[in-house]
Order: sequence, then structure tokens, then C-alpha cells
Amino acid sequence: MAEVIERARMNGFKKALDVLCLTPLGLLCLVLLAVLPLVPPFNQEYLIRWMVVGLFMAAQAVAFDFTGGYINIVNFGFAAFVGLGAYTSAILSVKLGLSPWIGMFIGIFPAALVGFLTGVLTLRLRGIFAAVMAWFIGLAFWGLATKLVFLTEGPLGLNCPTLLQTSSNLPYFYIILVMFMISYVVLKRIVRSNMGLAFTAIGQNMEAARTSGINPTRYRIINFTLSCAFAGWLGGFYAHYYGILMPDVMHTSKTIEVLVVVYIGGRASLWGGAAIAIPFVFAMEMVRSVFSNYPGLNLIFYGLFLIVIMIYYPGGVAQFYAFLTERFKASRLVRLAVGNRLDSP
Amino acid sequence: MTMEKSQSLQLDQVIKGLKSPAGITIALSIVAAVAASIDNGFYVIVNTIVTGGMWALVAMGLALVFGVMNIVSFVHGEFFMIGSLTAYFTFTPFSDYLMDNPHPVAEALLPILAMLASVIAGIVVGILCELIVFRPLRKRTREQWVMNSFVITLGLSTFIINSSQFVFGTDFRGIVSYWDYPTLSIFGVYISFDRFLVFILAMLVLGLFWLFMKSSKFGRAIRAVSQDETGARMVGININGIQTLTMALSSALAALAGACLLFMYPAYPTVGLGPLYNSWFIVILAGMGNVVGAAVGAFVVALLQVLTTIYIGEGWDYTIPAACIILVLIIRPSGIFGSGVRGILDQ
Amino acid sequence: MENRPLLEVENLDSGYGFLQVLWDVSLTVDRGEYVCLVGPNGAGKSTFLKSVAGLVSPMGGRVEFKGNVISRLPGNKICRLGISYISEELNLFMGMSVQENLAMGAFTVDDKSKILETQDFVFELFPVLKERRKQFAGTMSGGERKMLALGRGLMSSPVLLLVDEPSLGLAPQMTATVFRALDVLKEKGVTILLVEQNVTRTLQVTDRGYVLEKGKIILKGDSKDLSQDKHVRKAYLGI
Repeated sequence: MAEVIERARMNGFKKALDVLCLTPLGLLCLVLLAVLPLVPPFNQEYLIRWMVVGLFMAAQAVAFDFTGGYINIVNFGFAAFVGLGAYTSAILSVKLGLSPWIGMFIGIFPAALVGFLTGVLTLRLRGIFAAVMAWFIGLAFWGLATKLVFLTEGPLGLNCPTLLQTSSNLPYFYIILVMFMISYVVLKRIVRSNMGLAFTAIGQNMEAARTSGINPTRYRIINFTLSCAFAGWLGGFYAHYYGILMPDVMHTSKTIEVLVVVYIGGRASLWGGAAIAIPFVFAMEMVRSVFSNYPGLNLIFYGLFLIVIMIYYPGGVAQFYAFLTERFKASRLVRLAVGNRLDSP
Repeated sequence: MTMEKSQSLQLDQVIKGLKSPAGITIALSIVAAVAASIDNGFYVIVNTIVTGGMWALVAMGLALVFGVMNIVSFVHGEFFMIGSLTAYFTFTPFSDYLMDNPHPVAEALLPILAMLASVIAGIVVGILCELIVFRPLRKRTREQWVMNSFVITLGLSTFIINSSQFVFGTDFRGIVSYWDYPTLSIFGVYISFDRFLVFILAMLVLGLFWLFMKSSKFGRAIRAVSQDETGARMVGININGIQTLTMALSSALAALAGACLLFMYPAYPTVGLGPLYNSWFIVILAGMGNVVGAAVGAFVVALLQVLTTIYIGEGWDYTIPAACIILVLIIRPSGIFGSGVRGILDQ
Repeated sequence: MENRPLLEVENLDSGYGFLQVLWDVSLTVDRGEYVCLVGPNGAGKSTFLKSVAGLVSPMGGRVEFKGNVISRLPGNKICRLGISYISEELNLFMGMSVQENLAMGAFTVDDKSKILETQDFVFELFPVLKERRKQFAGTMSGGERKMLALGRGLMSSPVLLLVDEPSLGLAPQMTATVFRALDVLKEKGVTILLVEQNVTRTLQVTDRGYVLEKGKIILKGDSKDLSQDKHVRKAYLGI
């Protein structure tokens, strides 16, 4: 009730923010991000490329966190679903000459379908077994992509048309920015709804959720299907951005990359992983270019980061932000309280 | 009269055993192995048994870590890698030296030395992982232990693989053979001396391991912790110590397998991934945390891979087993040996 | 030194996480005594035993055993000092045989002949365990499990036995067997701290008793006096 009244009281700007599930700070960051590639020194091609990679990572992190953070099942075959969308779209455009713009959306269907089946298959399994099962499914598809050479060209790589006939990264930046925003807003709105509550309940205690009338089966399947659908869609972008697709896009290590970003960013927030994706990609690329004589150094940091975060701060950046805002609010409250006392006799 | 009765009882039990999922799987595997060897030659069975023995070593460690510490480990393959690296760096310098100064006894014993060195390396790394990573995590994580420990093993795996690449590069470091002896012929199948001896060694270690778990004080304590942690604490078992011991044992087993297979799988940073996938197939197929089941399941998965390579082709040996195991799990999510009792070595 | 009690608990606060269950509980048990702790469900009796046994770490207060402070020690060390805890859930090793369970009970004992001796004593106490040496704990009946748990607890030759609800869920005959066993143990000089819901019977056999309600000790005294107490008679004996 109170919420409804609050909603009614909001002005237009606040309403728009609410629809987009953003805080003013979030909006500010987004606007800054949108103009960033136009401002020197960030307008260099390789930096924009990093940003595209970062945004792609951010969008994946949102889709990944949707299952991992809420129903508490790490979709360990996540990269395979991205790859499934990518290969579908790429094969359609190469073999049938379909426009990549349409292919990208068609790529949603196989990923969602396999996601749906994975959800059905893992129904009876506890969280961790479901994760392992999803991993096996991912491994199976990775193997298929390697071996079905007549379709995928195997490890040689499948050349496919890009979305645009340009060598500039800037248009891609805005495309992936829009795709990221769509993923974020759609999934965040779901998470905020009653369905999101059901997801959280299932993730925390499946039995308790069941006894309180939530049908875990249904919600788990819905969750898996949706998350995989977005993964497939993003895969389409990946294929037509790079223009070449190799089976390793489905490799477990790609899943781990997304997982690291989500865990450092903070699970069950959706925005946590997204927020740190770009800085994270930048940091990793910097390490890679500074220590170019030592390949793999950035991945050592990856591993170390993950270990340290998991042991000492499992809530990640999102928890830290919550802590900061709490602090801020508390200090403001104190000031208000003190002020009031000073005013009153 | 009583003799007869007990005999019929045994027969009943055998029939009952055969009707269980485990019995069906084992019977089917044996039939498939025999059929394939009639079709393709006896080497099918020999290959299955030799590789199965190795996967058994790796998978048992994985099952052990899950059973005792409740860790779904992704880092297990890296112990395999560390084992093969250690074996390589112990074996090659001495082997080069012996090339110039031949000495038959030293040549025969050197591989054993290399394997011992990898076992020690495995123990050290296992203990370090437990002390530096898992113990602090255990102190801080209560509720989401399984997921969190799983994620942390991902981090460990990434860290170890890339550190190895950082230090040793991406070269393939392999050897041609451990023992430069002529190949053996068993039932008309030629098998290299290495494979033969390594198999014998694996079986020996499996037997020792089983004895240790069954009848030694600490082996029993490990099983006790896996069956009831509170109970174990009540009878005076130091849980931390047992967990360290478990980690050391499991990583030592994996490292030994890595050392044993050096002549087939040269050491390079990601060499552990294949064994990791395989042992996961095995553990899931057999039922999580079931160590005896893992030993048997290893041969089933090995057979599956041998058959896949023969009848479908190279490179399918992850896809087909994965698909088969997914099918099995649809019918029986707890694995063929079941994991109703969260114990190990006990069914 | 000699007149110090064997177990001395002073102002113990304990609980799980943020949930405090026990407040300021003090209790003493002398060597060779048979003491009981009674109270309604959820009063914190089991938590008290677990805190003494080191399975729950106390929030405050002090536990002393044989003159050593043990309130900060982990459970396995406390077991080594000679305290054996038989929990309500029994915590048997379900996938092990009776014999193996007993052997685990003697984990802290190194002397082989001593182990055999204790095992013979346990088999004498509960002949059924001897018959079922090879049977798995998971396949035994409730009463047999209870005996096995007691037997396992005795295998470390404890000085102090903490027994949690031994009669819970047992048929009257089995209950009698268990109580008889405890009597035998007392005769042998084992100190026993018993938590029970069967108050009538408990007050008949024990020397002294404490009444725990809502996490606080509200009454203490000789068992005979307690069974005459108005509150106890009304609340627990139904008279």
C-alpha cells in the first residue's frame, strides 16, 4: 500500500528511473559511459574495443547472475549457451545468407530451448548437482561444435558476416550498450516482481519455498530458460562483432570469466557484476599489455581475486556499496537528529 | 539343509545385485566390452582396463574430497598436472645422465623415484590448498559452503594453471617411455611395458588405499568424518587434521596418476582438464562421494571412451560419455551406485 | 584439590549465532555422582550438554573439568580429557558395523589390550551388541542404536558421561535396560550427568538434580527433595 502511494507521489523523472530500475547514480554512470567513447583519450579504437568487450561481459554477467545469484544454481555451462546462440546465428547467415540482425534474434530460440531442457533435466537435482549437470551439457555442446566440422568449421573457426560494414568499433559500442540495457531492465524488473521473490525463496531454501506454496519446478525452469535466452541473444552479437567463431567460445574457461566478474561484483544484485565488468576488463587488458612478456599473468590475478573475494568478502562490490550507503544514510540521520534537537528548546 | 539354504540365499543376493542399476550397468559394460573385443580384437579390454585403472586413481580422490570435506572440486585436475610436471623434472635430468652412464638398476628404479617425487609434491600442494584456502573459507562460510567452496576451487584452478604457464611456459614436456623394455604380448595384444607396469602400480595403490581406509585408524577416521562429522568430533577425532589428511591423500592420488601417465599425456598447463572431466563423469555416474563406486565407475567410463574412439571417432570422447551420463542421470539422479548414505567406501 | 568438584560450570551463557539459549547457568558434579538435569522441551538442556562437550562454543562463563578450564577447547580435545557425550541424535557412523563403531569410540585410546577390555565390558553390558558385531549401524533398531551409542561413548573409558535423553522414543523394556546400564556404570564409579524427560524415573535413580527452565536453573537439590517439591510435582510429575 505504502509502495503504491510512494509510486503515485513520484514525479516524471523518478518514474522513468523506476521503470529503468536505476538509481540516480546509476543513470549518471550510464550517461558518462555513453559519452565516454567520444571524449579523448577514450576515443581511440582499442579503448573502445575494450569497452565493447567490457559491456559484452557486463551483459553476460547480468544474465548469469539471474540464475546464479537468485535461484543459487551456478549455470556452469553458461558459455555453451552463449555459443549456441552465436553458432546458430553465424551458421544461418553463412549457409542461408540470413541477415545477422535477424539471426541474432533467431539465436535466442535454440539457447532458450536447451536452457529449458536443462531446467527440466536438473529439476530433481540439488543445486550443486544441477550446476555439474549444466556443465556436462556445456561440455557436450563444446564437443559438438568442435566435431561437427561441416557446420561449424571446427577449431579452424567459422567466418561469418559482421553486423555492419565498418571497421569502427563505435557503432558496436552503442549496439551492445542498448543490448546490455535491455537485458538489465528486463531481468531486473522480473527480479523485482513477485517472481523474483519466488526465485530468492527457492535459492535460499527449496523445501521451505515448496511448503509455502511456491512451485520450485516451474520457477527453476522459467529462470533457466530466460537466462539462457539472453545468453543466446548476446552470443549472436559476439559472432557478428568478431566475425569469426571458434568452439572455444563455449569453453568452461569462458564461463569462469563471467563467474569471476559476477562474484567480485556481488551476487544477487544484477548490477554488481555489470558495474565492475568494464573496469575489470580494462584492468585485465592493462595488465596484459604492460606485462606482455608474461602471458597469463592477468589470469593469475583472476584466480587470486576470486579466492580472496570468496574468503574475505563474499558479498562483493554490491555488498560494499550497500555498506557505504548505509553509512551515508546513518550519518545523515544523525545530523538530522542532532539538528532537530538544536532547533527545539 | 542349511548349506542349501545359504547357497540359495547367496544366489538370491546375486540376482538382486544384478537387477540393481549398478549390476545392470556393470553387466552391460562387460557384455559391451566382450562384444567389442570379438569385433575389434582383445585390445579393447586391455585398453579399458589400463586407462580405467588410472582414472580410478583420480576419481577416487575426487570422491573422497566430496565425501569428507563436502567440496565439489574443480581443482583436482591441477594436482594431476603438478604430478606430471614433477615427474618430468625428476625423471628427465637423471634419465639424460643415465643415457651417458648406463646402469640397469638405476634405470629400473628411476621411474619409481619420479612417481614418489610427484606423490610428495601432490601431498605438499594439497596441504597448502587446505591450509591457505579451504580452512579460512570454512571459518567464514557456513550456509553456502558447497557453492562457495566450488567457486573457490575454480579460482584455485585458474591460479594454478596460469602460474604453471607463467613459470614453465606452454611447452609440452613429455617422455617417450619410463622403462625402455620390450613390449609385452598378452593374449595376442601388444602392450608397452610402461602401460603394463603402470597398471600394476595403480592396482597396487588402489589396494593399499582400500586397506588403509578399511582397517587403519586414520582411514577409519576419514570414513567416520564423512559419515557423521559431529559423531567424529564426539569420539575425539580432530576434524581439521582429518580434512588436511584427506586433501593430501586425494591430491597425492591425482599427482600419482599424472606421473604414471606422463608417457601418454605430456605435462603442460591445462593437461589436468581432461582427467578432471573424466573423473567428474565417473563420480557423477557412480554417485557423489562413493569411493568404491568411483573405482568401478572408472572402468565403465574408460570403456565408454574406448568404444567411442573405435566406433565414432577421435575427439568425441567427451561428448558421447557426457551424453550417456546425462541419460543415466535422468533415470537415476543419485548415480548408479547411489549416494543415499553420505559415506564413502560403504554402500 | 580433592574437594573440588569434577565438573564445575560457572555462569555459562551459550547459544547458536545470535540466538542465546542459556543464561547464567551454574552447575557442579562431584566425582562419582549421578546427577540429572531436567526441564521442559526447549529449555536448553541439550545445548548445555553440547556446550560442556565442546560442540557448541559458549558465549560466556566458565567450564572447569578436573581443575582445567575447558570452555574454549574444541570437542575432540574435551573428549580426550575424559568426557564422553552421548547425544540425542546418537551421531552413529551409519555406514560402519557395530564393531567398527566401537573401535571409533576408542579412537583416543592407544593401548590395544585396554580397548579389548573395555569392549568386553560393553559386550557384557549389552549382549545384543556382541551378537550383532558385524551388522551395520544404519540397519539397527532404535533401541539397539541407543545401546551402541552408549557403548561407543564408553569405549574411551570416560571419567564423566554426559547422556542426553536416553529413553527418548524407546519401548519401556528398552528404557529399563538403558537405565539399568547406567546404574551399573555408576556402581563402577563413572560420574554421570543425565538429561531426561522421564522425570519420575530419573529422580528415583539419581543423587542430585537441577531443573532448567527457559535457559535458567530455577531449582536444585537432592533428587529426593526435588521429587517432593511443589513446582516439580505439578509441572513434571503431574501430581
